[in-house]
Amino acid sequence: MPAFLFVFAQSHSEFRLPELASVAALHGFTITVPPDCDTSRPFTVLNLESEEHARLLASRCILIKHVCEFYAQGGNYDELHAANKTSSHLWSSYVPDTSFKFVVTAYNHKISESRQRNIVESFSYMGFMGKIDMKNPQVLMGCFEEYETALGLREDRDGKFRQVYFGRLVVDGSARALIKMFDVKKRLYYGNTSMESEVSLLMANQALASPSRFVYDPFCGTGSMAYPIAYFGAQVFGSDIDGRQMRGKDGKDQPPGVLRAAKQYGVADRIVDLCTFDVTRNPWRCGNLFDAIVTDPPYGVRAGAKRLGRKKELSDEKKAANIEHQLSARKAQQPYVPPTKPYELSRLAADLVVLARYLLKPDGRLVFFLPTVNEQYEEVDIQSMLCDGMVLVANSLQDFGSWGRRLVTIRKTTHESYPPPTFEEEHDAVGHIPAHKDFREQYFRGFKKESDVQ
Amino acid sequence: MVRLITHNLLACHVKGCTSNNFPLEFKDVQVVLRESEFNPDFLRGFIPKIEWTALVGAARELGDTSLPDQPPEMLDDDFLKTLHHVLLEIHVEEGIMICPNCKHNYAISNGIPNMLLAEHEIG
Repeated sequence: MPAFLFVFAQSHSEFRLPELASVAALHGFTITVPPDCDTSRPFTVLNLESEEHARLLASRCILIKHVCEFYAQGGNYDELHAANKTSSHLWSSYVPDTSFKFVVTAYNHKISESRQRNIVESFSYMGFMGKIDMKNPQVLMGCFEEYETALGLREDRDGKFRQVYFGRLVVDGSARALIKMFDVKKRLYYGNTSMESEVSLLMANQALASPSRFVYDPFCGTGSMAYPIAYFGAQVFGSDIDGRQMRGKDGKDQPPGVLRAAKQYGVADRIVDLCTFDVTRNPWRCGNLFDAIVTDPPYGVRAGAKRLGRKKELSDEKKAANIEHQLSARKAQQPYVPPTKPYELSRLAADLVVLARYLLKPDGRLVFFLPTVNEQYEEVDIQSMLCDGMVLVANSLQDFGSWGRRLVTIRKTTHESYPPPTFEEEHDAVGHIPAHKDFREQYFRGFKKESDVQ
Repeated sequence: MVRLITHNLLACHVKGCTSNNFPLEFKDVQVVLRESEFNPDFLRGFIPKIEWTALVGAARELGDTSLPDQPPEMLDDDFLKTLHHVLLEIHVEEGIMICPNCKHNYAISNGIPNMLLAEHEIG
């Protein structure tokens, strides 16, 4: 199988391979990643069956900048050129009369123009006889230098030279343009918890969003997940305990906010419906409905998760008065807002997995963010919230320093039907306590241990 | 919004209301028709999930009589287009959905149904 050099965007390093694997799965092929693959580096050489596969990946993966046919790599230019000479069968057909261009760039470093020229000239042994065409070359040869991240060095210094790669450009990543297109700041409707566009696109890819699929977001909020998913052709259903998030403030003179933003992207049609309900008291008639559940649950930094109920039980007297009030409000068709109580994060996450097992079709995916305290995180935190028939596909950290959030992708492997979850409050964890338990409290404590704060 | 595809998936979920709680009955509805893109693969995938009698009933309640009493065995394009229209192009923008069993009213406002339960209904 031919080898390809993947040049990735700098950010979201842990998301690169899961995204590749998901987009490959979407197109019905798999990618074998060598076990020693260092995912923190922006250059990766992978074998693919064909150039066509490279094109499919580059048209959908948000994190791909370029894919090249791989010719050579080396710890210095002597090694690179030696390796490139042994790959001559890959490029010799371009020698006689193909117009070409060389591009030399570096990661974590800027190469001066004179050095760029020297590097290009060092490839003269390839003997390309076609004309140099800077605008529309038939082939573009890319030479990429990689430098170590300059951690701890002065800002104007670069890290150490690490590796140099060389290949022929096959295709530029075209999906990166969507990041701008879905820019939250240019969206007609958004809120202070809206997900940034790049990450919402990554989530859509993890969910294998595509035409004919039915996708559900149970914490829909201002709809950040819905837009990219619908853009990729899927039908999206959203619900939220707080209808105001989906509606916006413009009342009935305008369509709900989520629909206005969806219309801006030309996908209003694919927002099947929006519904106000608490997902722990949900009206779904049956399970086995969705191809994916994609959601960014509120985890309490800007908006805490809520569920129906009260923190403290009322006295019988107050309860009776309350019911009367509720009934009269209902009769008058006034909007009645039931009381809510906090929904602790580790409970919410575990409930979400069980709910997904009920609502997903076999092979369906649950994709969601889980915030976690980096220092205390252990792999078992994720493993312990799985249940029978649900397996972990990917777990990628977006690192914010002392805390981070993990994009968790889980697949339903079982074909058995399960009863709807009861969301009972008693099943509280006796065993493992994950690092995301009481995340909100930990966040506001600055992630110090409770005992250190006093 | 509140398309019939959604109506076909929502049951009353008041505590203890577990039989005869589907389909919800429409009342005082404002209906808007909106054309939408025809997606036969999505429809084929969704057909096994449909409660047919409930769908036919709801469509007739809203004045659309295009669906047969029984789903046809052959899913040709004509049928799929009719189904597409009924499931996805009829929007209930205002009105109430009432549980046939416990009579709970679920209000629809600006196309979004309020399926939240009151405190005494969650038990």
